[in-house]
Amino acid sequence: MSIVAGCDVGSLTSKAVILKDHRIIASCIVKSKPRPMDSAAAVMEGVLSAAGLSMNVVEHCTGTGYGREQIPFVQEIVSEISCHGKGARWMLSSARTVIDIGGQDCKTMKIDAEGNVIKFTANDKCASGTGRFLEVMARVLGVEIDELGRMTDRAKTPVTLASTCTVWAQADVIKYINSGLAVEDIGAGINTAMAQRVAILVNALTPEGDIFMTGGVAKNTGVVSTLEKLIGRKIKKTVKADPQIAGALGAALISLEKINGKGRSTI
Amino acid sequence: MDAFYAAATQIKTQSILDWKAQGKQVVGYTCSYVPAEIFHAADLLPVRLRGIETDGMEIGDAYYGPFICSFPKCILQLAGKGMFDFLDGVVITPGCDAMRRLDECWRKAGEDYPGIVPAYFYYFDVPHKAEAHGLRWFVTEIRNLIHSLEIHFNKRITAEKLRAAIAHYNQGRRLLQTLEDLRAQGRVPVSGTEVFAATVAGTVMPREEFTRSLEKWIKTLKKRPTPTSNRKRLMLVGSISDDIDLVELIEKNTNALVVAENLCFGVRYEGNEIPEQGDPVEALAEHYLGRSICPRMYGKYKERLGYLKEKIRKAGVEGVVMQNIRFCDLHGAENALFERDLEAEGIPCLRIEREYGPLIETGRMKLRINAFLERISIKEKNHAA
Repeated sequence: MSIVAGCDVGSLTSKAVILKDHRIIASCIVKSKPRPMDSAAAVMEGVLSAAGLSMNVVEHCTGTGYGREQIPFVQEIVSEISCHGKGARWMLSSARTVIDIGGQDCKTMKIDAEGNVIKFTANDKCASGTGRFLEVMARVLGVEIDELGRMTDRAKTPVTLASTCTVWAQADVIKYINSGLAVEDIGAGINTAMAQRVAILVNALTPEGDIFMTGGVAKNTGVVSTLEKLIGRKIKKTVKADPQIAGALGAALISLEKINGKGRSTI
Repeated sequence: MDAFYAAATQIKTQSILDWKAQGKQVVGYTCSYVPAEIFHAADLLPVRLRGIETDGMEIGDAYYGPFICSFPKCILQLAGKGMFDFLDGVVITPGCDAMRRLDECWRKAGEDYPGIVPAYFYYFDVPHKAEAHGLRWFVTEIRNLIHSLEIHFNKRITAEKLRAAIAHYNQGRRLLQTLEDLRAQGRVPVSGTEVFAATVAGTVMPREEFTRSLEKWIKTLKKRPTPTSNRKRLMLVGSISDDIDLVELIEKNTNALVVAENLCFGVRYEGNEIPEQGDPVEALAEHYLGRSICPRMYGKYKERLGYLKEKIRKAGVEGVVMQNIRFCDLHGAENALFERDLEAEGIPCLRIEREYGPLIETGRMKLRINAFLERISIKEKNHAA
């Protein structure tokens, strides 16, 4: 019986997962703090407390995410791209294309049957097509981020955002609010703009096999349903775990491989 | 090595200052199509213009606008700030449209920033085709450049002097080839960062000094211990880059080693010596235009791909990092084609879009490079199994 952990320090949220063999026994999500080491400490404390364990029983811990190099208690550091591949494979064994929308970037990857990344692309532009875009827009609309996702279903005539630039799109949204448009129509327009950016990346990779989505934005039903329309493919869902913890889960799975002697090279 | 590193990371290098202190003149140029031998033959110091040490973009943006390559904008920014005040002349080439526009943007900026346009400011045209008529045109361009330098700087550039310059540059080319051979070995005694610093230094140092230092350095490299290494052998290709920090960023990953480049600032034409007999101008034209493998040349994609594949094979490259500066159409399109064709042959490729200038996107770049190295490791592991 092996107890391992994965710690994913992202730009918006930090996540941690504890695995007992291949089973998740606890997970935790906290808002990231300015210093990655503080986020790591907070999320690890949260997940250990949820599991009723102390750090000394954790045999191996892998760090990932934007702040991966600043986590003091990990034995291995792996990019979030590889971790999301592993995590997605655990959540949906048939997944071969993974879309991960994180707080500050968006990645699409092709994975093999073991969750290893065989090809990936990532956005190179700016905040458009990232979790930060939705966060900024939700704040302008004065709604919670979860609420924004549900607006696509309720919208009658979604607006079009002329620019994908977060700053200019924000100006567009304010203009629509001031002209008295229904908030659902604006919210749906925001979700569509986001999905359009992501669709470009997905199509650039030529998706194969089942498509799965990880990261916090996977929970935004408006973005997911619009993206499905744009790429002409279904995005598979799972209830096995929260897609937002896929990176931390993948990190924990890499720890498990490490102690089980699968010989993953140190990166 | 310290001299190379200093020359590669500064605009106003010690060797330029020493050259000026002797009362001699310096001419800047912007592209690898300019035959540096011509300046050498005239006892002028050719210095390839670069955009490092830029700490703002207010001048570059004012004349270029925001949606264009940041490399010429950085050069203009430095010019506007007086960082090129050591130049006695400038030669601008149409390496691409953004570089071509440096001619008019620099001249225009000179109206607002007096004194930034050197007295000798020359536009050197370069054809896009290397067929017979293109070569004839390029020969004329070179002759015109020689004539113009002779008049402005009151020099005499004879065929003998040109041949001597070619012979001297060939010596450097042979040394660079030796360096490439060392990098192609199984146990590589030198990092990509060191080699890149040396080759960039070669574009700004007086050639005699560079050749002498390179020869000495290679001798020490041959004696360097070369422990076994499991570092992944990478190649760096794409848009113009003289950025030592970029190579350093890649090699900060302890399992990565850059063993080859295909960059116009890197070692590219090594092994291609220029004939030291016959008409030197025709020989220069044949080398600088006829053997060019830059994507600005029409109808040469297969040749360029072939060159890349050969270099990958020779240096045992395990992955290719393809970078392009934002808005660089030439390399943006070329990288996509290279990626398609190399991946089809099982060579992992990573495409990165970036800004030229001080590395400000290190987090984003590091993530991609880490993930790419992980991808190569997994591929190897699966292959071994």
